[in-house]
Amino acid sequence: MKQLKRLKNMLLREEEQKETDEQVQQPESEIETKSKQTETPKSEIKTSDTEPNQEQNDSKVSEAEQELEPASPNLIDEEPKEAEEKVSEDPKKVEGKPKTTRSDSMTLLEGRDAETITRAEIDVNFKQAVMDAGAETLSLCFQCGTCTGACPSGRRTPYRVRTVVRRSLMGFKDDLISDDSLWMCSTCYECQERCPRGIKIVDIVKIARNYAAQAGYMAKAHKMTGSYVIKTGHGVPINAATKALRKRVGLSELPPTTHEFPEALEEVRTILKTTKFDRLIGYNWETGEIE
Amino acid sequence: MAFAYFLGCIMNNRYPGIEKATRIMMENLDIELKDMEGASCCPAPGVFGSFDLTTWAAVAARNISIAEDMGADVMTECNGCFGTLFETNHMLREDEDQKEKINKVLAEAGREFKGEVNVRHLAEILYNDVGIAKLSEKVTNPLNLNVAVHYGCHFLKPSAEINIDNALKPTILDELVEATGAKSIPYKDKLMCCGAGGGLRSRDLDVTLDYTKEKLDNMTDAGVDAIVNVCPFCHLQFDVGQTEVNKKYGTNYSIPVFHLAQLYGLSMGLKPEDLTVDAHQVCVDSALEKCSLEDIENLDKITGGE
Repeated sequence: MKQLKRLKNMLLREEEQKETDEQVQQPESEIETKSKQTETPKSEIKTSDTEPNQEQNDSKVSEAEQELEPASPNLIDEEPKEAEEKVSEDPKKVEGKPKTTRSDSMTLLEGRDAETITRAEIDVNFKQAVMDAGAETLSLCFQCGTCTGACPSGRRTPYRVRTVVRRSLMGFKDDLISDDSLWMCSTCYECQERCPRGIKIVDIVKIARNYAAQAGYMAKAHKMTGSYVIKTGHGVPINAATKALRKRVGLSELPPTTHEFPEALEEVRTILKTTKFDRLIGYNWETGEIE
Repeated sequence: MAFAYFLGCIMNNRYPGIEKATRIMMENLDIELKDMEGASCCPAPGVFGSFDLTTWAAVAARNISIAEDMGADVMTECNGCFGTLFETNHMLREDEDQKEKINKVLAEAGREFKGEVNVRHLAEILYNDVGIAKLSEKVTNPLNLNVAVHYGCHFLKPSAEINIDNALKPTILDELVEATGAKSIPYKDKLMCCGAGGGLRSRDLDVTLDYTKEKLDNMTDAGVDAIVNVCPFCHLQFDVGQTEVNKKYGTNYSIPVFHLAQLYGLSMGLKPEDLTVDAHQVCVDSALEKCSLEDIENLDKITGGE
């Protein structure tokens, strides 16, 4: 009977624990509150849990308990013992676990100094610049990796879309824009469709590529595509075989586009000059070549 | 009903049979297509958007302004063109600052973006404005084909803005394909990209072909007679890319490829030559022979009630 009462009390306490936790966490961000709500009961039940954040959780739990006690006088009778037991029990278990701290003698760490990221590599304005360029949602990322999981390119290339977002957030601009894999995204939007935070990931990729293009990381093949639009108004201009095919099926030999209207092509060229696209791809107007 | 017909690049400059089929089909459906004289490349969303978003939006806005002058909504049948024109139209309508910025560029060329027209995709017009019932009536030669439907990426996504169908579980194209009497066969990773977009095809062909091979493997496992797409760039990737995959991997794929407009052309009795399917890299004869089977009993078994 006494045991039953104890069990009941434990359950009751757990219920209220959750509520109090919610209140305690409220000042924190929405995301963290959510994760705490689900993790707190788990850490109470599974004391042998080996999660690395165990210690942190436990300290939060005892904080919550302290706040809870005066608010629930009907539970005070048996509570203090329980709480003491728990508090004293948990650190022991944590201590008993094999430590995973790295020692200096680990060979894997040798020579890593050169790769250490320093503040000097961080462009503090990059995150805001990406956001201002149309990806305001960038700051919402909590690095869950759903994007990379959905990415058909990541299945076959070194491209990791999560790290594109991460590096944009952290301001690792140079590292990001000099990375060839940035160009291995086919802009299929699978990441964006699944993002639990509704982040416009493809816009982030494109903005990062814009910076890469400005910094000179633009493939010759891409510059060539750009030059076709300067020359003809089309990324894929017509050829002799298609002209013949068009004629055969009764279409005009040239489509009614910039191909047929030279003055329209001039409009397009004016736009490309105004935005300095010609300079971006190094187009030589006299030779029609890429420099 | 009338639309400003945006051609783009690959359809009119590589696969004119798609354009021809569309013009005939729309006439058949009493929908007027007005030529957008002097339109250019959309420009491609993955490629130009990646180089310089301002240039991309400005050239796109110029194209849209041509339709505005004509007072008609834009119709395109290329996912890439649809993506570019839809997204630019959406962005400039929502964001006054961007609109002002782009209009400053357009003013140099004597153009202005007003935000007066909508950008539509052929498949969505067929589904929403014409309707499956009316389309089915127009089918004179029901097609006895098992089809791998390829949605492509920029037709439905980003779905938050485009909002045509559920981007992860769509049915719009399957329904349109089945209205011709063909059967849409489910296959693994059906919604996966063909691999051509985002500038991948021109920059990293090996990566592109790896995507395409995976698609072709999955389609082959499902036992299809043809691939149907709604994007000339995907179309090119499955047609030309299929021969490139064969060359690179020593495979022997030969799945005929049709744009939705060509499929409708066949079902409405157009001659294959008018659809320029004879100019495709991958021979379409196996599919054409199968479409012309007059085994009505078999046809009913395959298409009945599905």
